[in-house]
Parts: sequence; structure tokens; C-alpha cells
Amino acid sequence: MRNALKVAKWEIRRNLKNKSFLIGMFLTPALFLGFMFLGSLFNDSDDDSKTTVFVNDELGLFETLEETVEKSDLNWKMQKTDVTEENVESELESSENTAYLYLDDQTLDEGVIPVYTSEEIGPGFMNQVQTLSTPVKSLQMQQLGLSDEELAAVSMSIQFEETTADELAAADDTEASESGGLLGEDPFAQVIPAAFALIILMSIIVSGMYIFQSASNEKKDKIAEIILSSITPGELMQGKVIGYFGLGMIQSAVFLAFAIPISVWQLGDVPILEYLLVPELILLVAIAILGYFLFAALFVGLGATMADMSSTSNFQGMVMMLPFLPLIFIGPILSNPSGIIAQVGTYVPFTTPGVLLIRLTILEDWPWMEIIIALAILVISIWIFMKLAGKIFKTGILMYGKNASMAEIWKWIRA
Amino acid sequence: METMLRVDQLSKAFKNKQAVRDVSFDVRKGEIMAILGPNGAGKSTTIRNIMGIMYPDEGAISFSGHDKIPRYKIGYLPEERGLYKNVKVMDILLYLAELKDYPLKKARERALAYLKKFDLEGHENSSIEELSKGMGQKVQFISSIIHEPELLILDEPFSGLDPVSQDLFKTEIRKLAEKGTAILLSSHQMNLVEEMCDRLFMMHNGERIIYGDMDDVKERYANFKCTIRGKNDQHELEGLPDVERVEQDEDTSVLYLTRDVEPVSWLKHLPENLTVQELSIDRISLHEIFIDIATTGNIEQKEGATHA
Repeated sequence: MRNALKVAKWEIRRNLKNKSFLIGMFLTPALFLGFMFLGSLFNDSDDDSKTTVFVNDELGLFETLEETVEKSDLNWKMQKTDVTEENVESELESSENTAYLYLDDQTLDEGVIPVYTSEEIGPGFMNQVQTLSTPVKSLQMQQLGLSDEELAAVSMSIQFEETTADELAAADDTEASESGGLLGEDPFAQVIPAAFALIILMSIIVSGMYIFQSASNEKKDKIAEIILSSITPGELMQGKVIGYFGLGMIQSAVFLAFAIPISVWQLGDVPILEYLLVPELILLVAIAILGYFLFAALFVGLGATMADMSSTSNFQGMVMMLPFLPLIFIGPILSNPSGIIAQVGTYVPFTTPGVLLIRLTILEDWPWMEIIIALAILVISIWIFMKLAGKIFKTGILMYGKNASMAEIWKWIRA
Repeated sequence: METMLRVDQLSKAFKNKQAVRDVSFDVRKGEIMAILGPNGAGKSTTIRNIMGIMYPDEGAISFSGHDKIPRYKIGYLPEERGLYKNVKVMDILLYLAELKDYPLKKARERALAYLKKFDLEGHENSSIEELSKGMGQKVQFISSIIHEPELLILDEPFSGLDPVSQDLFKTEIRKLAEKGTAILLSSHQMNLVEEMCDRLFMMHNGERIIYGDMDDVKERYANFKCTIRGKNDQHELEGLPDVERVEQDEDTSVLYLTRDVEPVSWLKHLPENLTVQELSIDRISLHEIFIDIATTGNIEQKEGATHA
């Protein structure tokens, strides 16, 4: 163990002295956060992206329409106009992101409202325009002489409301639990610890990739035998796993050093730290760390079989993709976080950390039984994969300048 | 002399191939022991078994009478070797010393002293990839002795070195032996081995062929040979007394003489009609013994005969 720690210390120091590692360490969070918040920045500074809508209103509906637009949060600038349908073409040619609506008696009779749009109009515009159909419809009804009550009944659409057995049970259990969207009352309360854990998971999976590179380089640079004259292969492997765990933690710390201040600044009214420092965080971080050890075992073993990235076999390429497997589950999980697919994803060790983190973010009541079983499977898998990696590493790391074949790897495992 | 390393009836097989069979030898304090043999003879396998990088199928290895090899007392320069590319020379030397539990302060001093000795002064902060191949090998050599090992195992230390560096290594290895380090050295460069080593162990196809004192070996195996330049009939030469065999290449003939021949009196048997442009008599070199084994396995039979 002492020797393993020496290796770990060396790997950390070596990487921290390496320029490309350092650049990557600071660039990753910068890019990540940059893209995350840049998008919202663009959405806010939007005066030029507002669609200008001119209404040639002969029905006196303009105020009602404006009200509707405001209620539905449409990014529109409404204006009255006198431009006739005949002249609209020339007007449109000289403008961008602009539309003309024509409301007159004829439209009421026929139920068709002519809309003329310029270039650069937002792709969702025609959908947005449909919201205006309600006020126009009610005017139509009014003209037919319906009473207000009748109007209300007619203009109300029929909706189906679903309540599942689970929800009924949940409603019985928790008094008056108000379901406020996907994430419950305050989305940040759950998302923040999970985002924290995801950042850690991501950072250490990335550093797990570095493990792969490190083992593979050891093979390529032919230094393994010199190192192994001082320590055992097991110690070298452990040292690498621990060392890159440390690097992953450093990476996470750097990431969070960027993320927390920026989040506090951007999401000013949300008490980030208060939400972050909750007991649940311990479990979430533990899941992330277990995920690291699984992939570290996988990658350190794999790295020992490969000297040359360019001649990777299909099998080895597939193993490299395993950390991204949870992405496949995201869709089904979001649509049903307790569904069968989500459960399967929870129990498959390669997807357990990712899937569990997503599910625990969404679910309000944590399925403790599933969590415990999944973690048990994960821990056992880590143990098995560490054993296997140890066997592969021992032989593979000394096979210089050559990638190991599947048959060889199988033989080492059985040995 | 105190025995530092004893290898006892070591055997190791890969798949169906017996890489090493029943190999026994020892290395003593303060001596340079050579392990020789053609490619694939099993030298590196033997060494890897000693280092605990592989485990023997059969046999035992002991270090000063202990079964467990104390890795920190051994210095090892493997045949297939390299260093981390983007790391500073001093960093890697200190790391390797640290792995051997050698005090870092002393390691730094020794590293600087050796870098100076090997003409690498001022390179301690260069990264490995900036060094030439020879310089890299010097750093590797330093890394194997920085912790003052009691047993030093060098697998092909001279391969790829220019003559000047070879001499540097040679002198250093000798000095270490004088100070009491037991040295096990494998090499293909027979002239160097002949110059440096006290004892040798030659193997072929995983088995021992020759084992013993360098001088004894030379005396036992290195018979006289007579090289004649000039056109002569091979059959006539073969008919001469005390000639074991004759090798002829164009107009140069090499006559291998039997063991007990007296060179001066043997010369008197040469017929007068022999064409001689040049004539020399010397002992067969280690190099030739080696070639002989590697190509024909002749000595194998001979040793069988002498031991019979």
C-alpha cells in the first residue's frame, strides 16, 4: 500500500507538471460553463430577436390580442398598421423577422386569417400565431349572440386528466403533495446536489480516461519493467487508480471553483450553498466515486492491453464507450423515472452511477431498496473488475509495443 | 566469496515452449557474472524470473540465502527499456529512488554526481524526450544504480551505445564490482564480456551449455586455430595431424586444432608445398564459441564429451 501511494503521488505530480493536463483542467470547466451560460445570455439580450408583428385591425381586437401575447410569453412586439394587403409585399422586402396579420369581417366569416411573413422569421412563429385563435374565436362566438356562460362553455376545451395508482397511493401517503412539474416544488433543491455529483462523476471519468492513457504509455515507453523491479504489478495498478482518483478530485475542485461562484452570480436568488450542503449529497457523491472505481478498473486493464491507439480492436473501442452508455437511458428515464428501462439501467453496473444520479434528481421519494441493491451490484462488480484488471495488467503491461488480442486477454484472465 | 544470488534448477515454459530448463548458477559479491546466449536462448526470461516479474514453474531463487528477493537491494536495467517521455531527468531519477526507499537527499546528490560523470551535467531539468537515445540510456543506467544496490542485473547494457559510452559503462560497472556489488550481466558483445567478466554462464535453447570461470572456459573450449591465407586444397589440410576440422572461404582456410596441441611443434608438421600469404595462430575467441553454439550447437556435444 505504501508503494501504491508513492505511485499515486508520482502520477499526480507528473500530471500537474504537464502543461497539456493543466490546460485541459482549466479549459474543461471554462468551456462547459461557458456554453451553459452563454446560451442563456443570448436568450436575455434579445431585443433584436423579437418578432415584430403588425396588425391591420378592422375588428378592434388589438388590445385583446396584445393581452394574449403577453400572457403566453411570446417574444413579440405588436404594432398597429395601415398597410394594406396590396402593399404588404414591398414592406416585407425591406424588413426582417416581421409579420403582418389582417383581421377584417371576411376573416371572421371564413375563419382564415392571412399572415404575411418576411425573411428570418423564427421557425416557431406559425405555431405561436395559433394562440391568437382563441380571442378571434370568442369574437366570432360573440357575434353569433351567445351569452357569456355559453361562451365560456364553448371556448373551454375538454381535457383528460390522468392519475395513476402510484400517484393515488402517494397522495394518500403524503398529505396534499402538490405536484409542481417534473422536479417538484423547488427544482434547485434536488438539481444542485445532483449536478455537483455529476460534475464529480464526469471529472473522474475523464481522469479515468487518463488512467487508460497512462497505462498504455507505460507500455509504449517500456518503463514498466523498470518500475516493476521495485514494486509489484498490483501496487503499480493500485497506485494508478488512487493517483488518478486524486487528479479527478482536483479536477472537480477546479470545476466547482468555477461553477459555484458563477452559479451564485447567475442564479442570484437561489441559495446554492444551502441546497448543496444536504445529507443527500453524501450518497450522490458516493455513487459518483463508486462509478469512478468501476471505470478506473476497466480502463487500467484496457490500457495495459494497448500500446497503440490507432489499431484498437472493436472490442476495445466498445469498452471505451461504456461510460457514455447512460446517455441512452436519459430519454426513457426523463419520461418515466420509475419505469422498467430506468430500473434496468439502475442495475447494470456500467450505467448504475449515471442512471441513479439522474433518477435521484427527478424522483422525490428515493427508492431505497433499488438504491441498495444497485449499489451492492456495483460494489461487487468493482471488486470483480479490479481482480480481472489486475490479472490483465500484470501480463499486459510487459507486452511491449503490441496490442493484446482477445484470445490472449482471455487466457490471462483464466490464468 | 559470499553468494548474493543463487538460482537453483529454474524452469519456465510458455505455451508449449520450454523457455528455460533446469538452469542453476550463482552470483557472488564483487564479481561480474555474464549470462550469454543467442537471441531466444532464455536469458531475459531467466532474469525476469529472478526479478519476480515472472514466476518460475519450477526451481528456486534465493538472495543471500533468503527466498524473498529484497527488491530495494537490487538494481535492474531491463533489455526492453525506456523512460517516461515528458518528465524531467531529475524527477524520474528521484521517483525511481523513492520506489526503492532510498533517501531522497542522498539520491539527489548521487544523481548529480553520476550525471556529471556521464557528461550529462546541466541536463537534470531537461525532459527525457529532449535527450538523444544514448543520453537516455545513460539516465536509465543511473536509475538502476542510484540506490546503491547490492546486486545489479544488467540485461544488454551496451546495446545501442557508441564506443565512448561503452567504455564509460564498462569502467563504471567494473568500479561497482570492485566496491563489492554483485553484477549479473547479459550481453551479445563478446569482446566486452571477455574483457570484463569473472565468470560466465552460456545458454542455448533454455539450457546451460557452459558455466564457469572465464579463464577456465577459455582454456577448456578455446582451442588454438590456425588461419592460413593462400590457395590450398582442403583435403590436404584436413589430412594434417591434430586438425579437427577445416573451414575454407575463397583462399582463406581456418584449421581448428585439437585441445592439447602444442602450437610451436604443430607448425613443424606443415608441408613445404603449402601456399602461405599470411599465417596466424591464436585461440578461438568467446565470440567464435558463441557463434559456434548459435549456429551448430557444436560445443553442446563437446561438453557432453568432456563431462562423460
